[in-house]
Amino acid sequence: MLQPTNVPERPQRHVGGWWGPAVGVSALGFYAAVTAEGTPGREIGFNADHPWAVYAFMAALVGLMGYGFVRHAGLWMVGRPTPGLLREIPHRLRNAARLGLAQDKVRRDRYAGIMHWCIFSSIVVLTIVTAQVAIEADFPLKFLHGPYYLFFSFYGDLFGVIGLIGVGMALYRRYFSDFHRIRWDERVEDHLIILGLGLVLLTGFLLESARILVTELDQHPDWAPWSFASYALALGLDVFDFSEGQILWLHTWTWWVHITMAFGWLGLIVFTRLDHLFFAPVNAFFLRTDSPGRLAKIEDIEQQEVFGVGYIQDFTWKQLFELDACVRCGRCSEVCPANIAGQPLSPMHLIQDLKGHLANVGPAIQRHQHETGEIGREVSSVALVGDVIKDETLWACRTCGACVQECPVMIEHVPTIVDMRRFLVMNEARIPATAQAALENLEMRGHPWRGTALERTTWMEGLGDVPIFDGSQEYLYWVGCSGSLVERNLPITTAVFRLLREAGTSFGVLGQEETCNGDPARRLGNEYLYQILAQQLIETFKAKNVQKVITNCPHCFNTFKNEYPQFDGHFEVLHHTEFLAGALQNGKLVAKHTVATNVTYHDSCYLGRLNGVYDAPRQIISMVHGANLTEMQRNLSKGLCCGAGGGNMWQEEVGERRVNHVRAEEAVRTGAESVISNCPFCIQMFEDGVPAVHPEEEGRMKPFDVAELLEQAVFGPGAR
Amino acid sequence: MHIVVCAKQIPDPETPPSAFKIDAANNKVIPAQGIAPVLSQFDGIAAEAALRIKEANAGSKVTVISMGAESAQAAIKQVLAMGADEGVLLNDPAFEDGDSHTTATVLAAAIKKLGDVDAVFCGRQAADWDMGQVGLLIAEDLGWPAAIIAKGVTTGGAGLQVTRVLENGFESLEAPLPAVVTVSNEFGEPRYPKLPQIMAAAKKTVTNWKIADLGLDAGAVGKAGSRLKLERLFIPEKGGKVELMEGDTPQAQAAALVARLKAEKIL
Repeated sequence: MLQPTNVPERPQRHVGGWWGPAVGVSALGFYAAVTAEGTPGREIGFNADHPWAVYAFMAALVGLMGYGFVRHAGLWMVGRPTPGLLREIPHRLRNAARLGLAQDKVRRDRYAGIMHWCIFSSIVVLTIVTAQVAIEADFPLKFLHGPYYLFFSFYGDLFGVIGLIGVGMALYRRYFSDFHRIRWDERVEDHLIILGLGLVLLTGFLLESARILVTELDQHPDWAPWSFASYALALGLDVFDFSEGQILWLHTWTWWVHITMAFGWLGLIVFTRLDHLFFAPVNAFFLRTDSPGRLAKIEDIEQQEVFGVGYIQDFTWKQLFELDACVRCGRCSEVCPANIAGQPLSPMHLIQDLKGHLANVGPAIQRHQHETGEIGREVSSVALVGDVIKDETLWACRTCGACVQECPVMIEHVPTIVDMRRFLVMNEARIPATAQAALENLEMRGHPWRGTALERTTWMEGLGDVPIFDGSQEYLYWVGCSGSLVERNLPITTAVFRLLREAGTSFGVLGQEETCNGDPARRLGNEYLYQILAQQLIETFKAKNVQKVITNCPHCFNTFKNEYPQFDGHFEVLHHTEFLAGALQNGKLVAKHTVATNVTYHDSCYLGRLNGVYDAPRQIISMVHGANLTEMQRNLSKGLCCGAGGGNMWQEEVGERRVNHVRAEEAVRTGAESVISNCPFCIQMFEDGVPAVHPEEEGRMKPFDVAELLEQAVFGPGAR
Repeated sequence: MHIVVCAKQIPDPETPPSAFKIDAANNKVIPAQGIAPVLSQFDGIAAEAALRIKEANAGSKVTVISMGAESAQAAIKQVLAMGADEGVLLNDPAFEDGDSHTTATVLAAAIKKLGDVDAVFCGRQAADWDMGQVGLLIAEDLGWPAAIIAKGVTTGGAGLQVTRVLENGFESLEAPLPAVVTVSNEFGEPRYPKLPQIMAAAKKTVTNWKIADLGLDAGAVGKAGSRLKLERLFIPEKGGKVELMEGDTPQAQAAALVARLKAEKIL
């Protein structure tokens, strides 16, 4: 099988980061150490007359952390119970290890990944180093001597240096580069954290070099080089010919500075974003185990007092917990299509605004709940939706999941945004006019396309016999509202139909009996309408004995596949690209005609990022002779939304630019003749966006569906 | 203040042209299959106008009445979900196939029966037949003043302050109560119902009044009372004919075209 012409970025899957090389270097050190001669060792607590100070600091730190935990936990607990968090424990533990400890998501930004690993591994290893010193000093167990002592000295220095490299990289990024996102919400603590850690590490080296200068440099010249960095520093200090008294004085003072700063820095965990040290792995454990394309079902919707989340305490406590995990790194906002287009949504600021609101009103709510046992929605006069989070912010979200995908601490922004949208729509009925028209149309006419002159059967004209699904066929070909009621998408529908027929597939369509499966209603926040539409359609499917469905549209695909099981609708669902790629592979379809064309491919969010179907469409393109694929800069899991997701197909955009213009620009930049996608919304957005960024008609890029390209290859160019 | 909103359920104006069929023999529209009837859009706007007045005047009440088939319950429920307090359905075979005049007779009888009504709001016209007469005829029957095609209605002065849309501008009127107002699309969009209200509306019972409840004579309503006779109902035929000009050269074709146009007396 042919491969795509250039290999695009793949989601990273390897686990463990740079622990491999680090452990390797350490092992070499270990080997060298055990082969060393003599019984090296050192006096623990050398020249430090106040070991009690360490324990006093430690007690204070533990107390502080206890206080911090109680304070945080009290705020989380104003939220609702979070169902299902203890289900699938093994999967969750894997997430905590893979995403929390191995930091798979941090490494999606390579520079940050290296920097973060350096700092993280350094803190972990140096904590272990310090713990060993404490054990050696105050417990009967004695092991810091002999070869192990040398090895201990070696890796202690190694990870100290690694830590300094990390700090250096962080300093460069923060102070000497024009790197934006970490400065979108910069605070004093950010400087404290990085400068503090650098000073802790430097004073550590200074401390050790002072000791080496006094106890090893002359006495044990063969031991000293094992602490290679401190040894080098000691050699440097030796040049100045300080007296032993001066060195000891330096040592004492450095010890105090080092120990105070180290514990002070650890204390920052309680008060600053350093708390992600704990919250990130725990939040990885809490991360959903089902599809990111699925929105939560409101159970017993008719019995709810309030619909959606309009008050901070109506979030689940997990949603409140993850606010605390946020480190303001800006990765979410950096990839957010709305933010990129200068529209009024920045996921990072949204999370920070929620966090700030919780800190403001949480304690009062906590007291109220404690005293009365009631949820206390009347406690705060500040409206969560409207005052804290603006309506237009919630509407700008495309539910594309890019923010969730990038978040290194596993915050799930999209469900939180949709929860607030639900409140806006169902409870308050505050909806942009065009979105309201789409919702009303769904209620009245069972499709979101107000004013369409087409019928659900219009596309069938001229195709001969179109089989109606009656339960005897294997597949239901689900055309969808966009596939049948929007002029531009009709050729895609017929292309898929002809290819299915050509492949000898046993399938039928529902024709006039199709109704919207409810996806736009759910994304626009009208969960009630969604549930009505979904239940109706599931009944229809069951009555007709539908087992397998092929969909035209990734949104229908996601709804059937991930969301209908919430309503006991279990079907085997394929997107047409998956089915067609399979048909090509098993020879049921033959792409015998050459279609000489340069194309680029746009991953729709609901097929790509949210459902992981990246390969099937690319396989089809690669199997079309003559089709030459150039990837866009943002592709695969880093692909940019076309702008239509999350019900934005039916909204007027607010902001500097339109998202589809941004994406069309990226597509045009590849120089391809056409942009291939897999989603009727994306196609419509490109149809509108490309002419806007490329006004001359001549040589203008054309949007096509994968099926339209394949149709040409199977039936011949221009064949209809 | 008690406002009555008259709401009509009509065939969906967005029915695709290909699905719109008529029964020529009986001069009737055949309901399109699978396309549910809807609330006439102007009546939704009239309901919005009434609800805004209700919200601005504490203790007000909005009643929605509809004359039509049993299915018109849905239209009534929709206005109840928007925030109206009560609904009345006027459903009787005797009311069927009437004209604007008989419709107004039935609606006016229902309004009289309700008794304490201060104002009646209608859409400027029903979006199916577009007659635009029922509001005025109700006013005639009740002997109340009427302001039609309003883009703004508020309470104030002697009763209602109404801004009417004219061909070349606007007209501000003050109407004493009780009065009839027909509301135009310039007023604005009807609200989207809140879910708690949808649920409350679903639980409300719609009052059903028959001809006997209104004390009307069967000869005065429906087809029997109708003064308007529908002669013929048909879908206009659209057609086009193409004729290609023959000729070996463009010049010859152009000459043929000119000759042809002259023959048709177009040139």
